[in-house]
Amino acid sequence: MTVAGRSRRWRFSVRPTPRAARALKSLQLPAFWLLGLILLAGMARLLEILRADLARFPVATTSAIVLFALYAVPFWLFIASMDFLEREPPLLMATAFAWGGAVATTAAIPGTQALHDLVAKLISPAFAATWGSAIAGPTVEELLKALGVVMIVLVARKQINSVLDGMVYGALIGLGYQVVEDIVFAVNAVALRGQGDGVGPVVATFFLRGFLAGLWSHTLFTALAGAGIAWFVVRTDKPLWWRLGGLGLGLGLAWLTHFVWNSPLFADGLGSGAAGVLLGMLGKGLPALAMVLALLWVARHREAHYYVAQLARLQDPRIATPGELQIMGHGHLRADARRYGRARCGRAGERAVRGLQTAQARLAVELSRVDRIFPGDELLVHCRDEVLAQRQRLVDLGHPEAVVSPMRPAVPRVVVLGILFAVALFLLIWQAIRTMNAA
Amino acid sequence: MVAHRLVRNLAGAVAVLATLLTVVFGLPALNRAVPTDRSLAGPRYDVGAGVTVAPPPGARVDASKTRPGSERATVMFLVGDVRYLIVVQPFDGPIGEAAEKLRTKIKATQGYQVTGNEGGIRTTGGLAGVAGGYTAPGRSGRYAVFLAGEHSIEVTVSGAQLELQRELAGIDGSISSITYGGDR
Repeated sequence: MTVAGRSRRWRFSVRPTPRAARALKSLQLPAFWLLGLILLAGMARLLEILRADLARFPVATTSAIVLFALYAVPFWLFIASMDFLEREPPLLMATAFAWGGAVATTAAIPGTQALHDLVAKLISPAFAATWGSAIAGPTVEELLKALGVVMIVLVARKQINSVLDGMVYGALIGLGYQVVEDIVFAVNAVALRGQGDGVGPVVATFFLRGFLAGLWSHTLFTALAGAGIAWFVVRTDKPLWWRLGGLGLGLGLAWLTHFVWNSPLFADGLGSGAAGVLLGMLGKGLPALAMVLALLWVARHREAHYYVAQLARLQDPRIATPGELQIMGHGHLRADARRYGRARCGRAGERAVRGLQTAQARLAVELSRVDRIFPGDELLVHCRDEVLAQRQRLVDLGHPEAVVSPMRPAVPRVVVLGILFAVALFLLIWQAIRTMNAA
Repeated sequence: MVAHRLVRNLAGAVAVLATLLTVVFGLPALNRAVPTDRSLAGPRYDVGAGVTVAPPPGARVDASKTRPGSERATVMFLVGDVRYLIVVQPFDGPIGEAAEKLRTKIKATQGYQVTGNEGGIRTTGGLAGVAGGYTAPGRSGRYAVFLAGEHSIEVTVSGAQLELQRELAGIDGSISSITYGGDR
């Protein structure tokens, strides 16, 4: 299919932020001020909890905060890079993270406990001991985290341009929740151990919750909820029942994946030994991870094709050559093009390719925001000039086109690295479970 | 048009706030409104993790604080206003360490202080342990800890001074009846 054909097919997948949209306009919205108040209340409550923990276990609490803050960095970078072409405003991303870390966590503590107790009272303590976490956790926590995505929509509706944007904000809310919950769990582990202010339980919690369970936790669940909410918001071309169906599916999948992870099913693993435990864990976590990665792949490519089509309609090889348009929508191909630039012209070549890619993405986003291109449009002229300047840098280096190497291996580097990473992770987790069993 | 948009925005924000408040205050209120205690059937209660006990006369179970399980288990009995808690969990250290752990847990609650000396205690089934007392603002408490198999059995009893004295004989009898595994 041609680029123009794909553009027509996916013209509703993205709703560009209008030119007139300004961050300061959010100040006029009641939701903005209410969000501020809720965030302040959540942060005050979180500080109260952490202050009490710091008073009881200063070393353990500080270690937990530092360890899990560092743990969040690669997750944050990955989530932020998911939307290369149309980057989200950092302040809005920080707001999403803060909702997950300060509002959803502090509100979930009384809510989850109450629902858990209700299950025990209305059914039986034995049932609650087995299924209480699987029922109360997802019901309360996924609701609270989804409210964060709704709040982002209310204060910055124009920033939710595609399903991918919903996934980004959802994942950040989930990450905030995951990090703060892990800190609280780590300090609780220290208290339960009853041997004073030690870092042993913190490290064990970091390993168990951050490492073994970290790949399929709140970040993943809320990305699904965010996708459902964004689908409802963006796809106004669809009938209401279809949009509601997408919303229900996203929220339902978030609840279901969380329920499966919290459920006692395969709690002792599949079969005996470390391999059995590992299989049980992978059986519960991998389907959710695979589902989110597949959804992410589709959402990214739909959005990428939409923006690539904006450049393609210019039909100007100085702006983007056919080869550059081919690779623009694929993160690993863009990375390959930068590597090729470096191989041919050193670090300057890599920087020039990166500069061109960034300028092309900015121009594509600006093009998507206008219905017609007027010759006197200053912003568009500025973006086009930036692309041309970056192109000139490449021409001066003797590497005029930012494409991948013709000698590129048949199996993409990203596939090889992905497989190696998965195998290394698998072996590491297996070894860790064996060590824990032996201990 | 602008006013309409602002009203819709306000309605959405209020709906989010209302849902949040329902979770934070509504659910706990509903939880408090639902009766917590359950009457007991039979002379012995299966706590879980291999531990059974004869509940004190007139005791009811607090369903919200009771968690049976095969490795860890908790039961909270209510005898009038006196709370009688048994916690079973995996433990592989000596009895002194188990007692220290329980004392630390008690003292972690603000205002709670362990008082007096600890003494030995033995159940009718032969489990040996240590027992002591503690105080809290407006309340008094007793604690005991036993080792059984690869588990520790922690017992804490707390209530207002007068009521605790009135119920203590029945509760002491119940503590003596704690058994582990097949021991009866």
